[in-house]
Parts: sequence; C-alpha cells; structure tokens
Amino acid sequence: MQPNQTVLLAVLALPFLGAAVTPLVYRALGERTAYFAAAIAGGCLLLIASQASTHGSVTLPWIPSLGVSLSLYVDGLALLIGFLASGVGVLIFTYSGGYMHDEPGQMKYYATLQAFMGSMLGVAFAADLVALFLFWELTSVASFLLIGHYRSEESSKYAARKSMLITVAGGLFMLIGFLVLHGVAADAIGTATFRLVGSENSMLAHADEIQEALRSAGLLVPVLLLIGIGAAAKSAQVPLHIWLPNAMEAPTPVSAFLHSATMVKAGVYLVGRFRPLLLTDEWMILFATLGLVTMTVTAMLAIAASDIKELLAYSTASHLGLIVAGYGLSNVYGAETGAFHIVNHALFKAALFLVAGIVAHEAGTRAIDELGGLRHDLPVTAAVTVVAALGMAGVPPFNGFYSKELLFEATYEVALHDGGVWWLLPVVAVFGSVFTFLYSIRFLMLFFGEKPHELGEVHSPPAIMLAPPVVLGVLAGVVGLGGVTSTFGVHLTPLTDFVTRVVESSVAHGGGHEIHFGYHLPTKLKPAVVMSAITIGVGLVAYPFFDHLRDGVRTLRSVPLLSPNFYYDTGTEALDETEFVTTHLQTGLLRTYATALVLAVSAMTLGAYAAAGANLPAFTGVGLALPLVLVLLVAIVGAFAVTGAPSHVAGVLTLSILGFMVAIFYILASAPDLALTQLVVETLVLVLFLLVLDKLPAFYGEPSRLRSARDGLVSVVVGATVFTTVLLSTKATPNDVIAEFLAKRAGVPSEHGTYLLDWGGGGNIVNVILVDFRAFDTMGEISVVAMAALSVVTILAMRERGEVQ
Amino acid sequence: MTQFVLALVLGILFALGTYLVLRSDVVRVVWGVSIISQAANVYLVTMGGLSGSVPIVAHGGGHGHVTDPLVQALVLTAIVIGFGTTAFALVLTYRTYEAHGTIDLTEVSENT
Repeated sequence: MQPNQTVLLAVLALPFLGAAVTPLVYRALGERTAYFAAAIAGGCLLLIASQASTHGSVTLPWIPSLGVSLSLYVDGLALLIGFLASGVGVLIFTYSGGYMHDEPGQMKYYATLQAFMGSMLGVAFAADLVALFLFWELTSVASFLLIGHYRSEESSKYAARKSMLITVAGGLFMLIGFLVLHGVAADAIGTATFRLVGSENSMLAHADEIQEALRSAGLLVPVLLLIGIGAAAKSAQVPLHIWLPNAMEAPTPVSAFLHSATMVKAGVYLVGRFRPLLLTDEWMILFATLGLVTMTVTAMLAIAASDIKELLAYSTASHLGLIVAGYGLSNVYGAETGAFHIVNHALFKAALFLVAGIVAHEAGTRAIDELGGLRHDLPVTAAVTVVAALGMAGVPPFNGFYSKELLFEATYEVALHDGGVWWLLPVVAVFGSVFTFLYSIRFLMLFFGEKPHELGEVHSPPAIMLAPPVVLGVLAGVVGLGGVTSTFGVHLTPLTDFVTRVVESSVAHGGGHEIHFGYHLPTKLKPAVVMSAITIGVGLVAYPFFDHLRDGVRTLRSVPLLSPNFYYDTGTEALDETEFVTTHLQTGLLRTYATALVLAVSAMTLGAYAAAGANLPAFTGVGLALPLVLVLLVAIVGAFAVTGAPSHVAGVLTLSILGFMVAIFYILASAPDLALTQLVVETLVLVLFLLVLDKLPAFYGEPSRLRSARDGLVSVVVGATVFTTVLLSTKATPNDVIAEFLAKRAGVPSEHGTYLLDWGGGGNIVNVILVDFRAFDTMGEISVVAMAALSVVTILAMRERGEVQ
Repeated sequence: MTQFVLALVLGILFALGTYLVLRSDVVRVVWGVSIISQAANVYLVTMGGLSGSVPIVAHGGGHGHVTDPLVQALVLTAIVIGFGTTAFALVLTYRTYEAHGTIDLTEVSENT
C-alpha cells in the first residue's frame, strides 16, 4: 500500500510548526509547554503509526531543474527511526516537564527540541539525497543549540562547538560523497538523479550498475570513505567519537534523546540505508573494522569514566559501533544485528539516561565513586536499571543479549566463510563485549552495595520523571521476554515482523532468499553461544579487578598522542591563535575593513579598465560654465576645511558649505527638485549635527603622521580611481537617451485638456517618475526613512531604559 | 562630453571622504560618509549630462532638450535616504559615546 502524502508531510511539518508556535504556547502555559511538546510528538507518533502498513514513496517537486525533489519514502528502516524519534520524543518531553523545572531558557529548549525531533524524522523519511543532507545538517544545528543550552558555562560552549565542528564537517564529506554518487548515477542509470530509494530510477533500484560504475571509475573506495566519515562523525565512531562524551553538558533529557533516538542514530541509519547500494568487500572491511574498533575502544573508555553520564556516553558510542559492525558484515545476520540492536539500544539507553538524570537530580551528584546502594531510596528506578543495564551487558534473557548473539553469529559466519585474518572479527567482538559487560555491571552496582556516608538524603523522583524510564524499561523487558517465550514457540510476532521489514531495507534487492527474523534463547550449543558464555564468564572473573582495569585504561587515555581529543584541541587552538587573523584581518576596527574594501574596489575597477583597454580621453578644454566652476571650487575648499577642521563645530559648519554648494550646483545643472531637497536636508542635517555635538566631547585626536600618510595614500588611490571613472563614463553618451522617452510620456497631452491621464500626466518629469513610473522606489525610500526614524527612537528609548537596568 | 573639471572635483571629494572615513573619531567618519554620498550624487547628475533645460514640460506643449530626469529622480531618492542614514549614524554616535564614554573607535574596540 502506498503511503499517504498528506500524512507524511504532516509528520514532517508538525514538529517544526510546534517549534514555531512554542514562544506563544510558552507564554500561555509556562512550564507545562512540556506537555504541549509531548502532544506534538504523540501526534507524530500516531501519524507515523497510521502509515505503518504502507511501503513506497511520495514525491513533491522541489528544484526540478536540478532533479531535486522532496521525496519521502516509507519502509521498515524509515518507520523504525520515525517511531524511535517520535515515541522516545513523547517520553523525553514528558520527563522534561519534571526535569526542567525552574531551569533557564525553557522556551528555547522546547522549541529546539521539537525542531530536533522534526529534523530527525526528516532524515528518516527523506528519499532524496539533497533532502537527506538538509535534514541531516538540521539535526547538527539543533543539537548544537541543545548541547550549548547552558550558555554561560564554558564547558557547554566547548561541547556545543565541538559537536558542531565534527558533525557538520563530517556532513560536508558526506555531501561530497552524495555529489559523486549523483555524477556516477548519470553514467550508470542514464539520468543524473539525487533519488536514493523508492522509484524506478533511484540509485537503490540500480545498485549493481552503480557499484559497477563506481568501481570502474575507481571511485568506490572514495565514496565509501566520504559517506563513512559522515556517518562516523554523526554516530561517534572512533576517532570522531570525542564530541559525544562532551555532549553530556546538555540537559539530561536531551542526552537521552540524542543518544537513543536522534542524532547518533542518523549515522547508523545512513549506514543501514546505503548498505544495499554499496555492499561490497570494501564496505565490509571499512565498516566492520570501524564498528568493532569503536565498540572495543569506547567500551574501554567507558570503564575509565568517572561520571555516570560519561559512562553512558561512551557506552553509546560502543553500541553504535556494534550496530555499524553489524551493518558492515555482508551476511544477513549482520543486517539483523544492525536492525535489532537499534531497537534494543534505543530502549535500554534512553531508559538508562533517564535513570542517570533521576540519580543526578535526586542524589545531587553524578560521580560514580560517590554513588552506591541507591536501591533503598529509588526502588522503582533500581528495577528499571536492572532490566536496562543487564540488557546493555548482553546477559540472557534481557534484550541486548539477542542482538549481541546475532553479531557473534555474523562475525563467526564471516570468519568461517572467508577465513584468515577475518577470524579477528569474532575475537575482537568478544573482547569488546567483555568491557561492555564490565561497565554495565558497574552502572548497575550504583544501586547495590553500601550507600556511602557522604551521600545525603536521596528523594523519590516525581511521577512524571519516573514514568518514562519505567515505560522504556517495561518495553525492554518485553523484548527480552519475547525471546524466552519464543523458545517455547510463542513468538512476539508484531516485533519480529517489524524487525524483518527493517532488515529488508538494508539487504540488497534480488538477493533471492526471504528474510524471516526471529530470536529466541539458544537451545543448542552454537559458536555464538560459546562466545556469549566466554564474554559473561570473563566479565564475571574480571569484575573484582574493575578498579585496576579502570586505572590501566586511564593511564592509556592520558597519553596525549593516543587521544583524539589532543589532536582536536591542538588543532582548534592552532586555528584560534592564528594571530595574523586577529591582528591584521579581523581587528574590529572600521579603518581596517574600510581600507581593505576601498583598495579592493579600486584595484578591481582600475584592473577592469586596463583589461578592457580603455583609453583616457585627451584634454579638450574646461567645457563648463564659469559659475559652475566657481561653485565647485568653493565646494572643494569646504571639503578641505572639513578634513582639516580643528573642532567638531567648525567641521560641521564647513560641511554645510559643501552641502549648500552642492545645492547651487543642482540649480545650475537644471535640477530644481534636487536643489530644493538638498537645501531642506542640508539645513536639517546641520541642526541634527549641532544637537548631537552638544552631547559629545570635543575630540581633537591628532592622528600620527605615519597613519595620516598611509590613509592619505589610500585616499589618493580612491580619488584617482574616481577621477578615471568619471572621465571614462562621461566620454561617450548614448544616442537614444532615456530622457526623451520619459519627456514624451510625462506631459499631459493637449487633447486631454486639464486631465491627468494616460502615462504620467504631469509637467514636472522628475515628479512624475517619482510618484508614478517608479512609485515603488519612492515607497521604499519612505520606508527607509521610517525605519531610520524608528531606529532612532528605539535607540534613544533603549538608552533610557538600559540605564535603569 | 568629457567632464574634466568634474572628474577632478569628484576625485578630490572622494579622496577627502575616504580620508575622513579612515579616522578614528566617529564624528569624522560620519562626515566622510556624508561627503562621499554627496559626491556620488553629483556624479550621478553629471552622468545625466549638464546641458539641457529644466525637465519640466509645458502643459500640452512640446519640449526642448531637457536634462535627464531619471538620474534626478534617483538622486532625489538618494538625498532623502542619505538624510535618514546620517541621522541614524549620528544617533549611533551618541549611543556609542553613552555606552563607551568615548567616540574614539580605537578605544572602543580596545575596550570590548
């Protein structure tokens, strides 16, 4: 069944509309805006659910001349991300209602968060590469604002900048990859298209031809790398993971949202989406390696964490690594790993972040070493944590176990099939999983053991903060239980059918075999079971030595050359401290900018004359009536007097001489209207100047000789340019002057008697032009004056109010 | 016809205006902008040709050779807008002095 165009557009429009009206809503509802936003997210969720049974695309023309359309595509993967973004969104907004109580900047917070959700929905449903890129970068911008929510905190600003730099830069690499694909598609399909999926001429429908064309042009690896960098930057893959731990500066609901359902999921979504298009051996080498290295390295870093949100942040990177690795592996288990783990990770990670928020809120600290024994004070939270953390650890029968089994199975199959160096895959997968197990248990232990004495009283969280993690915990538990029941033949059909659809999105078309996703507890001894057993066994043995391991990782981490943060910081500081920029280019002085501007314009103008071979006309005589010459002479004298004026008042008076001389010039040049206007304006300006000067100090700053000489030189260059320009432009006059055209039409034809009809109908041609032929210009002019007047009033009023504050 | 005198005059006016814009006293910068915009207006009128009669035609009658009314209309708009910007610039100058206690641009940028 085809999706409904209106509904899909509504899904995308709703969050942005919600964001747009949030300022008004906030004025009316105050902190209860949280529930308005939750309702928006709920609306999106329902709308998406109404399309759950559909499959296909809808298209709106956008930039037809470039072949860009706003196409939306609905399939398993799109629905999954859509459900996550809106569903988790409902819970996040609800939770925010409690968490953000009395926090600053709530209006901005809710507006941005809704836009964040909307852009993620856009990423999920976009079927066109340009639209996908647009929404992709919108998520970066929104997360920048959200991570930097506490604007006065230096660490917030640092984190926001870091995430922006890394994810947007990654997005630009991805854009280049898209453009290369666009170019290659022209050869492979016959039409240059940006359409990724969902039509006859889309790239995915011609995956084989595109792969072939890429390979023969030698572009396959570059494209994989470019798109890989984009996905890695967004999904925090090593070594671009460094922004994610800093992103915990954001309010906790944002972290939960960003880590589970939006932002970082965009990267893995991209990998899953491109998998059928680009699945080759090179793909497997790149993404399986990237994923497994990330999974292991960040799991180790999670152990070294000292803050519960930091632990969770590294763990997110690690689990995203698992998903990327799954999508990287070429067999069907790989795709199943990716799809199923997206679901599982979203459930347990969102729950755990919300738990971390509750702990931080109620216990007043996020330091791992200061927390313990919280189960007495937070029993419900503890129960949620048991389900979620054991799921994260991959302990049966909790949800993470099944997707991790799939990863083990996928790596084992690849190793068995290809042999050789590929045996490293299952080994690394187990190695990384041990660390995952360790930090998951460490997190769980916050709730068990002794409660440290320093930890004060821990309150119960309000119900609206508790409900969302409970919902997520229950869902995670149900997924886990589904595995148990299906061992006995009772399958959790809605879930497995849905995951099957998600898997289908990431499997190359025409593969032949149908996909039937299912999961259950292992009933016989398979290699994957052995690998899980090893993971848990080693984990249990190693847990007592957790502190030693942690110290070991911390020592490794502190070696600067091993830390990507070191390179990031050095790099940005080097750019930041480029003194040349601050001392020579961006000085903040008008003088610098003006000099650069006028010199550049002069150089370009003179250069253009030279290039066009313009010849200066020979001197043919003054050619100007004596009165005009005299008036201009006085004007020049006035201008020199202004420049050398010893005081402000003297300067203003001599400036007036110049102005009145210009007025006389207009009279002599047969321009009475100009003369009148100039006289009025000149008088007004004189009065204004004198009024303002009365309030200003008499400043006689003598410029240094060197600076005067330098500025004089610049002025001479400008003067010479103007001189040349005037000479060249007055040398020739077109034959067919526009004055004739206007003169014929402006006057009132005699046969009309006294009526003003037909064209302009007025004796004064200038006036006719102003009020008739070019009336809109005049309206613009009046608006400018009105704006200037408004600005003057505002600035003066602001001053008076500003001083009170 | 080629306007040598005006070329010279406009060159000088632009040069003086530029020199003033490069000063650090805000009031002088405003003067500089004012001179440059005056000179630009004169240049536009010059471009229309200085010969010819006033561009006003008699009722129902014909007309002789008039000066270019279009540039005059443009310049008229420019004069009025120039007034608006000058007024605005002056108030900004005043505000700068209120906020920074100085109208020396070098000092203003050092203080911020």
